[in-house]
Amino acid sequence: MKIFSESHKTVFVVDHCPYMAESCRQHVEFDMLVKNRTQGIIPLAPISKSLWTCSVESSMEYCRIMYDIFPFKKLVNFIVSDSGAHVLNSWTQEDQNLQELMAALAAVGPPNPRADPECCSILHGLVAAVETLCKITEYQHEARTLLMENAERVGNRGRIICITNAKSDSHVRMLEDCVQETIHEHNKLAANSDHFSLSLMQIQKCELVLIHTYPVGEDSLVSDRPKKELSPVLTSEVHSVRAGRHLATKLNILVQQHFDLASTTITNIPMKEEQHANTSANYDVELLHHKDAHVDFLKSGDSHLGGGSREGPFKETITLKWCTPRTNNIVFSSISELHYCTGAYRISPVDVNSRPSSCLTNFLLNDPRYKIDGSLEVPLERAKDQLEKHTRYWPMIISQTTIFNMQAVVPLASVIVKESLTEEDVLNCQKTIYNLVDMERKNDPLPISTVGTRGKGPKRDEQYRIMWNELETLVRAHINNSEKHQRVLECLMACRSKPPEEEERKKRGRKREDKEDKSEKAVKDYEQEKSWQDSERLKGILERGKEELAEAEIIKDSPDSPEPPNKKPLVEMDETPQVEKSKGPVSLLSLWSNRINTANSRKHQEFAGRLNSVNNRAELYQHLKEENGMETTENGKASRQ
Amino acid sequence: MKLYLRTGEGLSGADRKAKELSVCILIGNTGIIFIMPTVVVMDVSLSMTRPVSIEGSEEYQRKHLAAHGLTMLFEHMATNYKLEFTALVVFSSLWELMVPFTRDYNTLQEALSNMDDYDKTCLESALVGVCNIVQQEWGGAIPCQIVLVTDGCLGIGRGSLRHSLATQNQRSESNRFPLPFPFPSKLYIMCMANLEELQSTDSLECLERLIDLNNGEGQIFTIDGPLCLKNVQSMFGKLIDLAYTPFHAVLKCGHLTADVQVFPRPEPFVVDEEIDPVPKVINTDLEIVGFIDIADISSPPVLSRHLVLPIALNKEGDEVGTGITDDNEDENSANQIAGKIPNFCVLLHGSLKVEGMVAIVQLGPEWHGMLYSQADSKKKSNLMMSLFEPGPEPLPWLGKMAQLGPISDAKENPYGEDDNKSPFPLQPKNKRSYAQNVTVWIKPSGLQTDVQKILRNARKLPEKTQTFYKELNRLRKAALAFGFLDLLKGVADMLERECTLLPETAHPDAAFQLTHAAQQLKLASTGTCEYAAYDQNITPLHTDFSGSSTERM
Repeated sequence: MKIFSESHKTVFVVDHCPYMAESCRQHVEFDMLVKNRTQGIIPLAPISKSLWTCSVESSMEYCRIMYDIFPFKKLVNFIVSDSGAHVLNSWTQEDQNLQELMAALAAVGPPNPRADPECCSILHGLVAAVETLCKITEYQHEARTLLMENAERVGNRGRIICITNAKSDSHVRMLEDCVQETIHEHNKLAANSDHFSLSLMQIQKCELVLIHTYPVGEDSLVSDRPKKELSPVLTSEVHSVRAGRHLATKLNILVQQHFDLASTTITNIPMKEEQHANTSANYDVELLHHKDAHVDFLKSGDSHLGGGSREGPFKETITLKWCTPRTNNIVFSSISELHYCTGAYRISPVDVNSRPSSCLTNFLLNDPRYKIDGSLEVPLERAKDQLEKHTRYWPMIISQTTIFNMQAVVPLASVIVKESLTEEDVLNCQKTIYNLVDMERKNDPLPISTVGTRGKGPKRDEQYRIMWNELETLVRAHINNSEKHQRVLECLMACRSKPPEEEERKKRGRKREDKEDKSEKAVKDYEQEKSWQDSERLKGILERGKEELAEAEIIKDSPDSPEPPNKKPLVEMDETPQVEKSKGPVSLLSLWSNRINTANSRKHQEFAGRLNSVNNRAELYQHLKEENGMETTENGKASRQ
Repeated sequence: MKLYLRTGEGLSGADRKAKELSVCILIGNTGIIFIMPTVVVMDVSLSMTRPVSIEGSEEYQRKHLAAHGLTMLFEHMATNYKLEFTALVVFSSLWELMVPFTRDYNTLQEALSNMDDYDKTCLESALVGVCNIVQQEWGGAIPCQIVLVTDGCLGIGRGSLRHSLATQNQRSESNRFPLPFPFPSKLYIMCMANLEELQSTDSLECLERLIDLNNGEGQIFTIDGPLCLKNVQSMFGKLIDLAYTPFHAVLKCGHLTADVQVFPRPEPFVVDEEIDPVPKVINTDLEIVGFIDIADISSPPVLSRHLVLPIALNKEGDEVGTGITDDNEDENSANQIAGKIPNFCVLLHGSLKVEGMVAIVQLGPEWHGMLYSQADSKKKSNLMMSLFEPGPEPLPWLGKMAQLGPISDAKENPYGEDDNKSPFPLQPKNKRSYAQNVTVWIKPSGLQTDVQKILRNARKLPEKTQTFYKELNRLRKAALAFGFLDLLKGVADMLERECTLLPETAHPDAAFQLTHAAQQLKLASTGTCEYAAYDQNITPLHTDFSGSSTERM
C-alpha cells in the first residue's frame, strides 16, 4: 500500500468559458403530472442542462463516491477556469466534503454566455492545477515531519481531471504541452527554492485525464486516446464524451479505475410499496467499494460471478442475495458474535437517491444508539492505570478468597480500588467494616472453602481471622492512593484488633493458613516499594513480630502442620496503639465512641503535636534537629512525606 | 469487576444512528484457524545422488545431506509444533505425495529413509502438485509454508525451470504458472549447494525469480562453506530460526501476568511500502489496556488471528509444556503440573467468554489487537488474539485508540446505569452521502422525484408549509450549485400554474405562499448575487391569515 500514490491528490479543472453555457441537448421532463389532474393542462416544456451543469454534477458524483469510500487521505482540489483560475477549496481535510464544494460552485454560478471568449481559456485552470499539485498536503507534511531525515520518502504524485470543450486534436496537444511545460517550470522552482521547501514539493508523477465533452448530436472534433507517457513525470489520456448522462457514466467508470473500486449488487431485497403497503416487491441495490473486498471471492475460483461484461470491464458486479438479519443490527453480523473478518470496506451506493438505495441504507443506519452527554479527554494511559490499581490484589481462584465471595464486602472492595475516595466512600467503607464486626459478633458463617481440607475446615473464629487478614491485604494495597484510603485502613485496624491472649489461643488451634499468605505475597512486591522500614514506629512492631515468629516455630513442630509460611510479621495490631487490646472483643460502646471521635476529629483541626505524635508522645524542638541537618525520620509521620 | 473502554472524543451530540456503512468479508471454517501447515518438497532427481567429497570419511550424497537437514527440522517440529500438520512430496519429472498431512513425525522420518532415485528435475509440475494438495486439504485461506529441498540443478529442456520461466508469460488460464500460490504462503528454498556453485550457472537467478513470482514471500538458503553435515545443520538452523521459532510473550493485565505462546508466529507487517518500509514486529510484552463489549467492537477487520497458549517456563527459559488440552491425551507430567498452577490466561479466557467482551491489547506503538474467546467446537474454546492494522485509528467506529479510557472517568456512565446503551459506533465527522440526503440529478428520475415532492406539498398548503419550503430550498441549493438556473425558472412557472389551479375551497394562504415562492425562485434564476446566495433560504411569506403553521416558523 502507498498512501501517497496518484490518488492522494486529485485536481478537477472544469471549463467555465462561455461555450460551456451551451445546452447539452438532452431534454429532461420535469413536469410529471399526477394522473387525475391532467385534463386540459399542457405540461411545461422540458428543459435541458448546460455543458457546465453536466460537467459539474458528474464531477460532484465522482467526489461523492470518493469521499464515501475514502473519507481521509484522498483529497480533491476544485478549480474552474475562465478569464482566470478560481480555486474553490484547499487540500485541508476540512475542505474535503460535498457541501463546501457545492457552496463554492454556487458562488461561481454558471458561465456567462456573453463574456468575451477571447479572454477565457482552460489554460488558466491547468496552470493553477500544476501549482496546486506542488502544494504540500497536511498528510504529506505530517509524514515528512515524522520521517525527519527520511522525509524524501514522501512522494508527491497527483491526477488532473480536466473537463473542457476542445477545438481539435491539436488543441488537445497544446493543452498537454502546456501542462508538461508548467510542471517542468514548477519542479525547477520547487527544487531551487529553499524558502518554499516546507510548503512546496516537486511533482514526481502526474496523470492528466482530459475529457472533451460536447452536445449530444454533434460530431466530436477530438479523438479518444489511451494513456500515453509524455515524459517521465507526465502521462496523459484523452476521452471524448457526449454530455448529459454519457459524461456522468464516464466519470463513474473513471472513479472506479482511479480508486480501485468494484461493484457488488445486493439482490432480492424485499421492500414495501408506498401504494400497496401490505405487499412487498424485491429490489436490487448496487454498491461500490474497494475491490479488495472481492479478492477472496475471486480466489475461491468463483469466476462466473456477476452479470455479464457486455458493458465493459467496469460493469462487472458480484451479486449477493439479501438475507433479512435476525437481529435488527448490522446486516452482515449479529450482535453478540465475533466473526473472522479479513476486511471491512466502506461503501457508496451507485444510485444514492433512488428509493431502493435509500431504503437499504436507512435500514442499515437505523441501528438505534443512544445519545451521550458529558465527556472528558481521557487517554488510554488512564485505562492502564486503572487496571494496575484493580489488579493489585486479585486472587485468581475462587476458593482462595473469602472476601470476594462475600456480598457484605462489595461496598468496600468496589471503591477501595479508586484513585481517590469521597467522604461518602470512606463512610461506606467504614460501614462495611462495622457490619463485618457485627457479623463476627453474631458468629455468622463465612463462605470459606473447605476444598482440600480434612474435616470441617477452620473454626469460625479462625475463619474470621482469615477474612480480616485478606481484607487488610486488599486495603493495604491501596493506602498510598490517598489519605482517605489510609483512614479506611485505620478503621479496619481499629475494628479487627484482638487481645493478644485470644489471638494466641486461636493460633494454637489453627491448621492451615496458606490462603491468606498467598494473598499477602501478592501485595508484597507492591509494598516493598514503600520505605517504611526506617520508620521508628516499625521497630516496636518488629519486636512484637518476633514474638509471633517464635510462636510460629511452635506450630512447625506439630507433626501434621504444613510448612510454616515465611510470614511477614503482622503489623496490624501495632498500627493502632491507641486502642486498648486487653479489653477483649471491641464493645459496641468503644465502636460508637470511636466513630464519634472520628467524626468529631473531622470538625476541628487536630493539634499539630498530637498529629505528629508517636504513641501519643510528640517530639519537641524538631526544628532544631532539622537545622542541624539531622534526619527527622525518627518520627514516623515525617518519614512519609 | 468490569472495565470498559470509553471514548472521550466528540461524544456530545452524537445522535442515535450508526453513521457509516461498509461491506465486511467474513471467513467461515473457524475450526482450523490456528493451523499453518508445512509441505516439504524434496528433489529426488538423479543429480541429488551426486557424491559430496569429504576427506577421510565415508561417502555422502547430496540427498543424504538433505535427509539429515529435514530430520533436524522434523525433530524440532515434533517438540515445538506438536499440533502442526506436515506433508512430504517428492519429485523428479513426476511428483508423488509420499506422506499426506500428518502430525506423526515418525512417519515423515521413515519416508525420508525410503526414497528412491528418479530421473530429471521438473520443478513446475511439482509446484502445481503442491497447489493441488494444499487447496484440496486447506482451501485458499490457510497460510502454508513450503520447504523446497533441491540441489540447484534445475533440469534441462522442456519442464526445466529455465524453460518454465521463459514461457511463464505465454500461459492460458488453464495452465497458469503455479506461483504465486493461490493461498497465503512462504516458499523456503533449501539448496544442497553453496553460493559459488549456484552462481556459476544461472541457477540462483532462476530461484530468485521463483521467490519474486511468489510476491517476494519466501527466502533462499544456501550452504555456507563446504558441503558437510555440520553446514547443512546450520543452514536448517537458520530456517528454524526464521520460520519455526515459537513466539513467546508475556501477557499482562495490571499486576496479573502469564507466559504465553502466540501461534502461529505473528508476521511482521509493512504499513506503507514507500514511507515506512521497515516491517513492524509485535512486542513480546502484550499489555491489556481495557475491555470492550463484543457488540461494540462488532466483527472488526483483522490482519491475522492467533492462538494464545499459556506456557510454563522453567528457570532456564525452556518451554515445559503448553497448558492446552488435546484430543489425544498423551501429554507429559509437565503439562499436568502446568495445569495445576492458577494461570491468568484461564481467568481471562473464562471472563471474556462469560462477559461477552474482548480485551484490547497493545502490540506496539500505535498498534493494537484484541483478545477474545473463540469456540473451536461445541465443547472447546480457545483464547485468541487478532491483530488490527497498525495506526492510531484502526477501527473508525471506535475513534482513536488513545482516546479510549476507563468508564469511571466519565461524568455519566456512557453505557447507562442499566448497561442498556453504548457510546459506539461513533459518528464520522462528515456524514456519508447516503446519510445526508444529497441531491443527485444525473438520472431524470432523481430530478422528477424532487420536483414532485415540492408539488405534492404545494397542494397541501398551508398545512405543509414547512416541508414545502424545505424541499424547495433543497432544490434551489442544488440548482444554484450545478448552475442549473433554467430549472428554477421552470419550477417557478409550475408553481404559478398550481396557483391558478387552486380549488375554491383552498385556504387563501396557499395562493400567497405559491406566488411568493415562485417569485423568489424567479429572482434566484437570474443568478444575481442578491437573490442567488447559496446559504440564503427562501422563507415563508408572513401573512395575516391565522395559519398556525406559518406562525410557528
